[in-house]
Amino acid sequence: MGSIRLNKINKSFGATEVLKNINLEISDGEFLILVGPSGCGKSTLMNLIAGLEDITSGEIVIDGKDISSESPKDRDIAMVFQSYALYPTMDVARNICFGLEMRKTPKKEQEAILKEVSEVLQIDQLLDRKPGQLSGGQRQRVAMGRALARSPKVFLFDEPLSNLDAKLRVEMRTEIKKLHQRLKTTIVYVTHDQVEAMTLADRIAVLKDGEVQQLGTPYEIYNDPVSHFVADFMGSPGMNFIECVVKDKKLIIESSGQRYELTVPCEKELVDSKLDTVLLGIRPEMLTEVTPEASSPYIQEISFDVLVIEPMGADTVAIGEWNNTEVIARLNPDSGKHAGKEFKLQVDTSKAVLFNPNSGLRLR
Amino acid sequence: MNRQTPLSINIGRVMIYLLLVAFALLYLAPLYVMIATSFKDIEEIRSGNLMAPPLSPTFYAWTKAWSSACTGSECEGLAPFFWNSVKIVVPAVSISTIIGAFNGYALAKWRFKGSEFLFGALLFGCFIPFQVILLPMAKLLGSLGLANTVTGLVMVHVIYGVAFTTLFFRNYYVGVPTELVRAARLDGAGFLNTFRYIFLPLSTPIFVVTVIWQFTQIWNDFLFGVVYSGAGTQPITVALNNLVNTSVGGKEYNVDMAAAIIAALPTLVVYVVAGKYFVRGLTAGAVKG
Repeated sequence: MGSIRLNKINKSFGATEVLKNINLEISDGEFLILVGPSGCGKSTLMNLIAGLEDITSGEIVIDGKDISSESPKDRDIAMVFQSYALYPTMDVARNICFGLEMRKTPKKEQEAILKEVSEVLQIDQLLDRKPGQLSGGQRQRVAMGRALARSPKVFLFDEPLSNLDAKLRVEMRTEIKKLHQRLKTTIVYVTHDQVEAMTLADRIAVLKDGEVQQLGTPYEIYNDPVSHFVADFMGSPGMNFIECVVKDKKLIIESSGQRYELTVPCEKELVDSKLDTVLLGIRPEMLTEVTPEASSPYIQEISFDVLVIEPMGADTVAIGEWNNTEVIARLNPDSGKHAGKEFKLQVDTSKAVLFNPNSGLRLR
Repeated sequence: MNRQTPLSINIGRVMIYLLLVAFALLYLAPLYVMIATSFKDIEEIRSGNLMAPPLSPTFYAWTKAWSSACTGSECEGLAPFFWNSVKIVVPAVSISTIIGAFNGYALAKWRFKGSEFLFGALLFGCFIPFQVILLPMAKLLGSLGLANTVTGLVMVHVIYGVAFTTLFFRNYYVGVPTELVRAARLDGAGFLNTFRYIFLPLSTPIFVVTVIWQFTQIWNDFLFGVVYSGAGTQPITVALNNLVNTSVGGKEYNVDMAAAIIAALPTLVVYVVAGKYFVRGLTAGAVKG
């Protein structure tokens, strides 16, 4: 069991407010990801849950019990640190068992747990090595082993993959997900990598300046962002934002002598907002090659100047200029397009989102 | 690229080496004179050249300096004072090093209200000259009933040394990642267990540095030794001074030299045995986890 409730959490360091009125419910077995740019308070929030720092006000409830003032060791929480924080003078086995040793678990039981954990993580060959003799990926596994050994109510992961190289990071990401599916223990995971957030999370909390901007499933966060900030932060390559003039429920774009009238799904909100200009948000995958058979009021053909083509293997990214804004389109890699002027593309606005250019908030 | 054939002789380089050798010899000359003189008999010293090697080496001066030279009215050599020094140095070094380790650990990793101020105040202790505290300390020792005792001297050295040992350990432990402390806290280790299982095993280099430093300071101390010791508790430095200044008959330079070497030997031995750690410990960076 391990449900967490964060109730009106505030945290200040001196006069600096780091976290402002955080309210989060994390249900038992959930994989929650805290994501945001550096300095948004996500690591602080994690330290508060772990008890490594004291909250200024509010309460942290685990399984119905207020643990706000309990010491870290009594919270039944295990944490995987960004630097792994393995004890450098102890071998792998002792690193994993140290928490059990401190809790006076009988030796026999410790050995059984060590065996099980090291087999799950495939580190049973490394038990008598010192952390200094391990590679980055192996250290990462040992750090996870140390957390697993205590079978706590909650796991905290503080940017655990950020010190690994790109390939290993993807591998470990999958392993963490597998591990979670197997153990079904609550996980709170901090990252600034939006790909990690999208791939791992049951729900994502996007933080900015110490406040939760949006809490939702990866699908909601990606497709239904509440603000320009969230939309911009999630997705790679990022969402395109184009400033448009509003006229008769349509968005007007003028680019290289051409005039386009775009129909968007949220006409009512657009009219209600009474704005003259709005920020149109379109994901790159909605800007593609022209498919003549497609027909919908939202689809239309446009042309713009492509400056750079970036083949990524599975797809090709074209970066161009439209309406004096840098715009990214996602193309089929087999079309073999080259950079050039007057590139024909089709834009699909059926999933477009609109933001108030002043407040950055979504029109809804 | 400035290529050189291996056989070509570079005049500049030869000059540099010659100069370095010359300075090294100059620097070593006093040591040579001390050792050579200590093995000569008094006749040879009077008649011979200062730099000449001993023609018929003898241990006379060494034996006398150790066991029968006069230090004031007593004529028992340096031996009893050597052991006095050992009795002062061993507890003073151990106690001040252990306290320093705890202080340094607490100040580096367990910040509390006023910990910065406390560290600043301790640091200040490093800069207080010996002379300034002579009188107040004498009064304190007197009122504690520790005047002229080994215990009193140990206490003075511990108090004086804690400032330095704390500084050493604190600066060393600051380089240990704080995440280790956090991980240990989550694992259920408290203040003492974290120190014992995580910090202590990392501390060999800094222990060696601190022990060498404290040993040298306390063994070589003269001022506290001469002021706070009684007739039976004088350390070897004070005895050496008395030995050199006591002249029964003519001045025995060979005995003086042997005595000076005896007094200096322990610190030399400590440095030779553990010296490589000294440099390593002083320059040791962060401990990689």
